[in-house]
Amino acid sequence: MAERRDFYEILGVSRDATPEDIQRAYRKLARTYHPDMNKDPAAEGKFKEIAEAYDVLSDPTTRKKYDAFGHDFRGVPDDVDPEMYRRARAGGARRQAGGPANVEYEFSGADFGDVDIEDLFGDFFGRGTRGGRRGWGPIAGADQEAELEVTVEEAYHGGKRSFTIPGPSGPRTIEVNIPAGVADGQRIRLAGQGGQGTSGAAAGDLYLVVRLARHPRYRVDGRNIAVELRLTPWEAALGASVAVDTPGGEAKVRVRPGTSSGKRLRLKGRGMPNPRGTPGDLYAEVRIMVPESLADDERRLFEELARVSNFDPRSGR
Amino acid sequence: MTTALVVSSPGLTVDAFSKATGLHPDLVKRLVALGALDACRTAAGELRLPPAQLAAAARIQRLRAGFGLNYAALALVMDLLDQIERLRGERQWTRIA
Repeated sequence: MAERRDFYEILGVSRDATPEDIQRAYRKLARTYHPDMNKDPAAEGKFKEIAEAYDVLSDPTTRKKYDAFGHDFRGVPDDVDPEMYRRARAGGARRQAGGPANVEYEFSGADFGDVDIEDLFGDFFGRGTRGGRRGWGPIAGADQEAELEVTVEEAYHGGKRSFTIPGPSGPRTIEVNIPAGVADGQRIRLAGQGGQGTSGAAAGDLYLVVRLARHPRYRVDGRNIAVELRLTPWEAALGASVAVDTPGGEAKVRVRPGTSSGKRLRLKGRGMPNPRGTPGDLYAEVRIMVPESLADDERRLFEELARVSNFDPRSGR
Repeated sequence: MTTALVVSSPGLTVDAFSKATGLHPDLVKRLVALGALDACRTAAGELRLPPAQLAAAARIQRLRAGFGLNYAALALVMDLLDQIERLRGERQWTRIA
């Protein structure tokens, strides 16, 4: 069993904190981690921890017992002397290690290391006694939100994806179907995968907010995709049919003669699919490239072109 | 959060809603009066709560348990949380468009 954190440490207060200090620390943390203020699945476990610490430390009786017996306080009878309990525990530990059994009492059943905290505290909202909690029945869990980063290719084709999210009972793996044509910012609802309910009430839903990952070639704008189309000067001048990669596979773009850099060539319907309507378009953005170094023949031909051409791209600007 | 008056409407009676949420029927009526829960009235004047209000009731319970808020403050907090949610949604929509 994992080492349990000290309640004072959880609330970030010292052991001699006043009740006001404890309440202030709890309220501040609750505003950050309460399931209705923070939809991050990781916040649920933190809030449970904070709420449990506050539940114990805000009650003078339970706080006193916690101070004396630590996390075992719930299982220790009221009339037990803390010092005797401590010695008994220490003696028990020594006996387990082969040491002498020089203690006066056995506290059978006092070690609650295996108690499920959910049994003791799972009904925080349902069985508590302070702060207006008395009398609530089962309470459904809150909805949660998490970001799901998908590649442009995943968004285009759709598919299955596994991911791990944190939770109060430890991380869990969820498999999700990414619908083809999912858009940046779209929410995917996973019913019953959100915050846990109390006393058997239904769990909330988990909403995955899709974030499209940056892509080295494609820029997605809504359902349209832009991709750079590199051309040689002669392809741009004479026209050509050029292959361009799209998320849906290779496509041919017809470059008209006399195409300059910056021109956007539209491939209708080759953008992101749309499950509820018309797919987006793909825009091939022309960028004319020249060789960094020229072979002798290339240099000769470019020099000849420079000599015979009267084209001036800067005229009329 | 508004309480609309309509002639006939589907939805849960106060007793059914109370049973589903564990809230006392008087508290359900009080939360409706405070605008923390949406409800409408039948022609006979009985309250009916849309099933979607079950989630709102759970949120009220969580907020009350977590912060010890009084009922009037709960209605305000619920409105503010709804507004934040709406603004976040609009911001996302703007980014997509």
